[in-house]
Amino acid sequence: MTELRLIGGTALAEPAEAEAVPTLRLPPGRHGIPADLVRAHQRLRLLEAAASAVAEQGYGRITAARVTELAGVSSRTFYQHFEDLWACLLAAYETEASRLCREIEAACATLVEERGPIAEADRRGRARAGIAAALGFLAAEPDIARLLSAEPPPQIAALTGARRDLIERLGAMLRDVLTDPAGATPLPGLERRLIGAALALVSTRAGGGPQRLLDLEPELSELLLASL
Amino acid sequence: MEGVLAVCGEVGFRETSVRAILEHSGGHRAQFYQHFESKEDCFAQAYAVWIERLCVSVLEAAATTPGWEAGVREAIVRLFQFVTARPAIARALFVEVQIAGEPALARHEAAVERLAAAFDSARADIDPTEAPPEATGVFVVGGIESCVCEALGAGDPGRLWDTLPELMHFAAGSYFGKEEAEGAFERASILLERERARLTGAGEEVEER
Repeated sequence: MTELRLIGGTALAEPAEAEAVPTLRLPPGRHGIPADLVRAHQRLRLLEAAASAVAEQGYGRITAARVTELAGVSSRTFYQHFEDLWACLLAAYETEASRLCREIEAACATLVEERGPIAEADRRGRARAGIAAALGFLAAEPDIARLLSAEPPPQIAALTGARRDLIERLGAMLRDVLTDPAGATPLPGLERRLIGAALALVSTRAGGGPQRLLDLEPELSELLLASL
Repeated sequence: MEGVLAVCGEVGFRETSVRAILEHSGGHRAQFYQHFESKEDCFAQAYAVWIERLCVSVLEAAATTPGWEAGVREAIVRLFQFVTARPAIARALFVEVQIAGEPALARHEAAVERLAAAFDSARADIDPTEAPPEATGVFVVGGIESCVCEALGAGDPGRLWDTLPELMHFAAGSYFGKEEAEGAFERASILLERERARLTGAGEEVEER
């Protein structure tokens, strides 16, 4: 149990302690904590620091040195985990993109228990629940909102690819909800335009603080579902 | 001033050094720092000049065409002409600006707001009880921009032309709903089929201003 406390919030009893955990530094030197657990903890701290460094410095100025500094690890440790800065940012991006998608899926799933023809009102409700969940997730984690919504340098193919994958995944979810089971399907490719526009809107609003993102829900829902 | 955008558009903002800008544009390091505080500052100033030209050109295309839908279509055509004629500058204006620091980003947001306000002229034709959300203009500009970024990122700006009907569907749908969107899609498809050569032809117009 003591070991688990080091890497995850779920095993913790005290919520206040849970929030403090990710940035907690392990004691240096001999402490009897298994090596693989130390490594997992370091990796989590680096991923978290990567998002903070993007929010702080932007993709234009970010350095591996700043990421290691924010994570409180040595440069040697950084390169034991990641080949370079971009590998670290890619891992952070993919981890957080998956978390975002899981949040949306969970919110949608609670509304529709069984498959089958879904009435338009239900589809709209499902979509709104997913959009609210996405904005809630991004508002609670402003650094991650910046990481996921900002355009990465186009020269870093893996990172732009990860962003494209996220747009595809979100687009597929939106397409699913826009498709009328009884009739017309939405225009191919439209969902990518809508998701691209939504990310641009989130990116401009994210700077205004968490509440501005939360307040966006009715507008964003209306815009994304205009063709429903 | 064009040099910094051309270099950043070619090799990327991160990889561009002051030395590389000077190699492209001529001049000495000391002169550079008389005019600009930093690479970011130089980029932001060049960005301001070029985004102003592009905005004026695009808004003029819309203003000289009667009707909201046709105006938007002409504006997008003018944008595509610029992007396909000057892909390096376009990469700097649309893609590299995202990572070029706050001064350039602030100018980018100002341009987005300005174009969004122009799209909002659609509201004159909409019953106030059915008015689209306040953020519609920014949303539509963001969607068009993401389309341009996608084509530039794929290294194939020419494929933008095929997205014209889809973008018209997206823009008209955001303001007027599904039926108008489908009409705008149809009309853009027909125009593209009939006049592709004329549309894709006149590329250098923005630069000559």
